[in-house]
Amino acid sequence: MGFIWITALKDLRRFWRQPLTLAVWVGIPLMVGVLMISLFGGREGPRPQAYVLVADEDDSFLSGALVGMLSQEAAGDYVRAERVTREVGRARIEKGDGTALLIIPAGFGEAVLREDSCTLRLITNPSQVILPRIVEEGLSIVADGSFYAHRLVGEDLRRFADGPPGGANVFADSTVAEFSVRVNRLSDRLAHYLNPPLITMEDAPPPEEDAETESVTTNAGMIFLPTLLFMALLFMAQGLGNEYWEEDRLNTLRRVLVSPRGVPAFVGAKLLAAFALMLCVSLIALAAGYAYLRLDWSTLPPVLLWAGCAGTALTTLFTLLQLFAASQRAAHILGMSLLFPLMFLGGSFFPVEVMPDWMAAVTRWTPNGWALMWFKRIMLAEAGPGPLAAAFAALLAGTLVLAIICGWRLRRRFARG
Amino acid sequence: MIQVEGLRKQYGDFQAVKGISFTAEPGAIFGLLGPNGAGKSTTIGCISGLLEPSAGRVTVMGHDVVGDGPASRRELGIVPQEIAVYEDLSARENLAYWGAAYGLRGAALRARVDAILEQVGLSDRAKGAVKKFSGGMKRRLNFGCGIVHEPRVLLLDEPTVGVDPQSRVHLLDHVRALAASGACVLYTTHYLEEAEVLCDRLAIVDEGVIIAMGTLAELRAQLGEKDLLRLGGRFDGEAALGALAALPGLEIVQADAETLTLAVAGATGRLPEIFRVLEGAGCEVRETTLRQPSLESLFIKLTGKELRE
Repeated sequence: MGFIWITALKDLRRFWRQPLTLAVWVGIPLMVGVLMISLFGGREGPRPQAYVLVADEDDSFLSGALVGMLSQEAAGDYVRAERVTREVGRARIEKGDGTALLIIPAGFGEAVLREDSCTLRLITNPSQVILPRIVEEGLSIVADGSFYAHRLVGEDLRRFADGPPGGANVFADSTVAEFSVRVNRLSDRLAHYLNPPLITMEDAPPPEEDAETESVTTNAGMIFLPTLLFMALLFMAQGLGNEYWEEDRLNTLRRVLVSPRGVPAFVGAKLLAAFALMLCVSLIALAAGYAYLRLDWSTLPPVLLWAGCAGTALTTLFTLLQLFAASQRAAHILGMSLLFPLMFLGGSFFPVEVMPDWMAAVTRWTPNGWALMWFKRIMLAEAGPGPLAAAFAALLAGTLVLAIICGWRLRRRFARG
Repeated sequence: MIQVEGLRKQYGDFQAVKGISFTAEPGAIFGLLGPNGAGKSTTIGCISGLLEPSAGRVTVMGHDVVGDGPASRRELGIVPQEIAVYEDLSARENLAYWGAAYGLRGAALRARVDAILEQVGLSDRAKGAVKKFSGGMKRRLNFGCGIVHEPRVLLLDEPTVGVDPQSRVHLLDHVRALAASGACVLYTTHYLEEAEVLCDRLAIVDEGVIIAMGTLAELRAQLGEKDLLRLGGRFDGEAALGALAALPGLEIVQADAETLTLAVAGATGRLPEIFRVLEGAGCEVRETTLRQPSLESLFIKLTGKELRE
């Protein structure tokens, strides 16, 4: 055990003195992660809100009501309105300060009441895409509302637009009461259609899938944390798989092969070093991820252990492949030719959650995809002790078999001639 | 002690070693001398357990290298031809690692590391990264890594290739000291002068076989007291060879259309006679090289070619 421990320590010391290599192994996935999360959206932040500048040149009761409607109650979650003059509004939109400028022309209120034509001008900020459309849709709904109001109580509206009859200053109480009664009865008649609404919209969970399918996580961070960690583990596995060739380049491999402990202890030491390195990188990544995503810390130890073991298993896989190469350069090319398909098909670049069904089905059959699936189950505390123990046993058995073949191949490739 | 009996090593159709046998005794330096590709490194590989012999038997201090590999390897220290150290580690870390690989631990390991650093002249650079060392310093460290565990049998595979003259002298002194302390040293080289001054016994290897073996004196005796005369020019016709063969005390070692190698007792005084015979046979001599009896001339006598060819 002493030789294994000493050799592993020696390797860790060597890796520590190659900070650039370590930076590349961890840095590439980190960079890809930042880009991906920027692309798909990260943890929930403040809700985006349209900022509408309103130049109300009518300054009537109805124009005030329109501005109020844009930003009241539910719509207020998405739209905020601010009154400005036309000139100020234009200047601010030019500078990109605001989602849109709504110009309500003089005579707007009168035109609505009489159902005359009237043009509302909406100048949108070209640098925004979604929010101006929300404002447009909102105005369109208001226009539709005006149309239907005229179909139902248009005559009364027009009467109100004409003003009190006979030169009176205000409408007669009976006229106002009569209008109120009519609107009330109309509301009662329409209540059947309007309340509750015939069409309702609600959030629905995705349909239940079979036991093999991973739980769908909606949070982008939750999706990307395992993906990026496994991308880093894959890069490290590919790099560490080249270690025997590196030892050969340094001519130290032959010296090791003729030492009393020989091949099995050396392979064991390399695996121990790989495990320690995988564990360190995983610990840093997972600690940051757990803190950021506010995950349940109690799942961290098994998750960490799984990541370390999975990374070591992947290292033995890459090692074995590269031991079949004719030279270090060829080994590197072989390693890369395995790395990228595994990364793309195994859910270690694009998360399984965004893959088409056929590709997600393939993922399950790749070694990293299988390990990733279990990683998520452990992280979300969805794996029972029995299946988890079986998964660990399978992972360790696979690693052991690969390591034995590595030892055999190492001796055939570099010794025994 | 190293005992090699009928060692053969075959790679497909190619036989790198064709039945080599020798014994290297403790307290002495046994040299394997031969040109590149003669089979020296393959022989070392088989002794160290790196290569599996195709036939024959090798024992190290009585342990069969195939049947009892770990025990035989425990006795061995190896200084390979190529520099075999970790460049990201310091000299001290390298020595400590290779010492630990052979079972040294704790205070004993530290003491040995200090002693070796002193011996190879790297005490002042003990903590420096090896990648910043000069070639000579790396060579010295390479040597130190092979002897840090005080092996009873030491295999040195052309350890002075690429070493500056000062480091070479230093290194050869160490090898002598190790042998004097009782270690069995097997030393391969293609530097004849090095073999002549260092080795107690020698085996000359060519094309996978030992063509001569013994002490330096025994090998010189095989050559006799004849000088080696190498002539360059144009030599055609059986008549010339016939005429030369008739001269007393002269032996034709090698002959072709452009070179002629002769073993001649007292060659300096007989040059006019030899030139006259050749001229009479219609040959033309353009270049003459005369060598005193040496391993080089023995090698040429035995193989008909120069060691560095």
